[in-house]
Amino acid sequence: MNDNKVVEIKNLVKNYGTKEIQTKALKGIDLTIYQNDFIAIMGPSGSGKTTLLNILSTIDKPTLGSVVLDGRDITRIANKELSKLRRDKIGFIFQDYNLLDTMTLQDNIALPLSLNGVSSKECIGKTEVLATVFGLKDHLKKYPYQLSGGQKQRGAACRALITDPEIIFADEPTGALDSKSGRELLECLRNVNEGKKATILMVTHDPFCASYARDVYILSDGRIKCKVSRGTDRKEFYDRIIDVQTSMGGDLTCE
Amino acid sequence: MRMMKLAFLNFKSNFKNYLSLVISLAFTILIFLNFQNVVYSDALDVLGTQNKNYVDILIQVISLVLGCFMFFFIWYSTNVFLTKRKREIGIYVFMGLSNQRIAKLYMIETTLIGLSALFLGIFFGILTTGLFQMVLLALSDIAVDISFRFTLPPIFITAGVYLAVYLLFVLKGYFNIVRSSVLNMITGTRQNEYIRQKVAILWLKSVLGIGVLGLGFYMAVKEGGQEVMGNAFAAVALVIAGVYLLFGGLIPLIFQGLAKNKHFLYCKQRCLWINNVIFRMKKNYRTYAMVCILVLCSVTALATGFAMKYRYDNMLHFENTYTFQLVSNQPDPDEQARELIEKKSKIAYSTRIKILALDGTLVHANVNYGQYAVVAYTELKKLAADAHLEFDLEEPADDEVIRASHLYLLSLITDRSRIQLDINGKTYRQTEEVNVPYLGYLQEQMSFYVVNDEEYEKLLPLGKELYTYNYRIENLNAFEEARALLDELVSDTEENYTGRIAVNPQRGDKDWIKVLYSLCIFMFMVFILASGSIMFMKLYNDAFEEKERYLVMKKMGFEERTLLKSIARELGTAYAVPFAVMLIASYFSVHALEKMMYTSLWSIHLVSVLVVFVIFLICYLLSVTMYKRNVGI
Repeated sequence: MNDNKVVEIKNLVKNYGTKEIQTKALKGIDLTIYQNDFIAIMGPSGSGKTTLLNILSTIDKPTLGSVVLDGRDITRIANKELSKLRRDKIGFIFQDYNLLDTMTLQDNIALPLSLNGVSSKECIGKTEVLATVFGLKDHLKKYPYQLSGGQKQRGAACRALITDPEIIFADEPTGALDSKSGRELLECLRNVNEGKKATILMVTHDPFCASYARDVYILSDGRIKCKVSRGTDRKEFYDRIIDVQTSMGGDLTCE
Repeated sequence: MRMMKLAFLNFKSNFKNYLSLVISLAFTILIFLNFQNVVYSDALDVLGTQNKNYVDILIQVISLVLGCFMFFFIWYSTNVFLTKRKREIGIYVFMGLSNQRIAKLYMIETTLIGLSALFLGIFFGILTTGLFQMVLLALSDIAVDISFRFTLPPIFITAGVYLAVYLLFVLKGYFNIVRSSVLNMITGTRQNEYIRQKVAILWLKSVLGIGVLGLGFYMAVKEGGQEVMGNAFAAVALVIAGVYLLFGGLIPLIFQGLAKNKHFLYCKQRCLWINNVIFRMKKNYRTYAMVCILVLCSVTALATGFAMKYRYDNMLHFENTYTFQLVSNQPDPDEQARELIEKKSKIAYSTRIKILALDGTLVHANVNYGQYAVVAYTELKKLAADAHLEFDLEEPADDEVIRASHLYLLSLITDRSRIQLDINGKTYRQTEEVNVPYLGYLQEQMSFYVVNDEEYEKLLPLGKELYTYNYRIENLNAFEEARALLDELVSDTEENYTGRIAVNPQRGDKDWIKVLYSLCIFMFMVFILASGSIMFMKLYNDAFEEKERYLVMKKMGFEERTLLKSIARELGTAYAVPFAVMLIASYFSVHALEKMMYTSLWSIHLVSVLVVFVIFLICYLLSVTMYKRNVGI
């Protein structure tokens, strides 16, 4: 592991509601993500997974604490800067793909790059390279409605990767997929992480999905309860995650 | 009763959403009512029965056009209600309501919307009738005191027409819901499939569209005789069909071609807005085509109005060249006439000329009819000099004639070549046609031909030579008195035949043309506002559908500025494409009009296109602001 910090989260607190009725979603999270990490955040409903991801992806603001991305505290910068940051440094993969149904898969993948003013030649070149990695080369001319869920999600992953972001946030990426499609996607993500050195932070409640990551943080009641790191074997890692879940009360999969 | 209550609650909560549609419907009703009211009110009675009848016919024709417009408008808006409601309706299905009951709910709700539009339209219609008539008459340059008086029949007619059409479409919606499947209703608004149409069909439509449009343009400008009317109708039908095919074929084809060229497409926002345009074009091409045709109508209406006005002024000027004209077989009533007129007013100028009234049975012409007369070239030249009229005619050859014609309000005969005249077995070729009022009012009543002096002498035995004396008085108020004096010269005996023509310079027998002019301006406004509001409403509805898409893009970190630029280009295209097609089509329609009215209309064309441009620009800017808000940027 190298020492290149990508994201540094310090004492992150988030409260919802008024002073009288306050819900504490996050109660002080500390987490450092290094370049080339593949992290999964797990936890039961209401554990604060989504809140954490929303703050990290600059959609929400924390009550206390700081998130440093690319040397800057993203909780304190202006909105205009934020969208630039989102555009250049962060890639998103959503549970429901969110491909634009008005354009072909290729256009969808190329869109962020094209909007950034990159030359058309580079756009075309990069979409083709990524599409090959994700096994979508034959589907580039199709519209989202002509693709399967798995293909759509791999397309969304390509779109997230095309701008070479510092980090990819994936929100339940396999949530809407069947197990085979989910596996295909996760294998692609792992390949990219290992080969292209992409940094990925994934939020999931599925232990199988989490087992593709290198480190799994288990969130409960607004705090990181434990960290499980992968050894050499994914299967063994998966069993360990299940064990930890069971020992913690086992309500992680009840979502 | 519960159904009623539910429908009413739905209506109340959704009213804001439909406000734009309701207002547009109310506006249509308001216009229709105002036009109907003109027919039933007595404001135009001052024009006299003849004029009033003409104007009433005109207004009924316009009402028919407005009725058609109302029909399409209601069709369109009830469709919007239906697709919008279908999604919510899907939920009722799961609540256990039968299709019939849901359809009934829809029917009650839509009827409430329709009735509120009717109420608003009639209410504001009544308020604006006085204003409408005032503006109409002011534009027509007719001075009347307008009393605010309102009769019931126009309201009944308007409400009747509107309700009949509206209920028809409500029933259509009812049966649509009754017969649709649950699945259909749930996915009612998610019909985003088949964005890209089959290229072969698009090509077919494009080729057909260009062909039909080309044929329409050809028909519009083709010169011809009596068949021009038929050609004009064919041109209208062909252009409408052609525009629809163009929007359904060629324009999507062009944009799809652009989208296929990735080197072109991947350039900043292009990827986003061109794809959106393609997506929207598939759904909206009928609307764009309709807007295009409406704008075309509006430009043509304005050009017609101005051409009419111009024509009217010229005709008046033509007829008023002389105040009095005497036609006599005696060579000497001139002196007497002068004396009589000058008792009342000075003579501004006077002319005299000999004309040869031909025996009608000896003349055969392929176009003109009526009484035929010839004048000698040199005589006419002298007359022109006396009356200070332009004269740049070449002396005709022995077998040539020049027709001294008059101004028509609208002529259907646009082909003026190869006109021949046959006098007693000799064929003359008509070389030219002039509209200079050498013989004033008389020129309108008879078909005059100019021949050279020798030919005139030769023709003398074939007719009766008459002397005409023409006077223009200075003091127009002395007209009545001078006319009364001149009456003593009139005689109808074998040896002395003298006729008198008096043209009152202050008469109003063609006032209906002035009303037509202002009606045309109104039509222009109505059409242009209608097309602007249709475009605006369409984009307004689209914006709601786009909301999710823009939310995703915002989440992905696309900058607002970038998205705004993309929106601006997309909406710009939506306005620019119909405008561009209209620009081409209007060139031909105005050109056809120019030919029928013998008037140069390019300046009017330019002005009306500019007005359309400005109104479109305003609508466009409003649309962008609204779109921005509706998609949540």
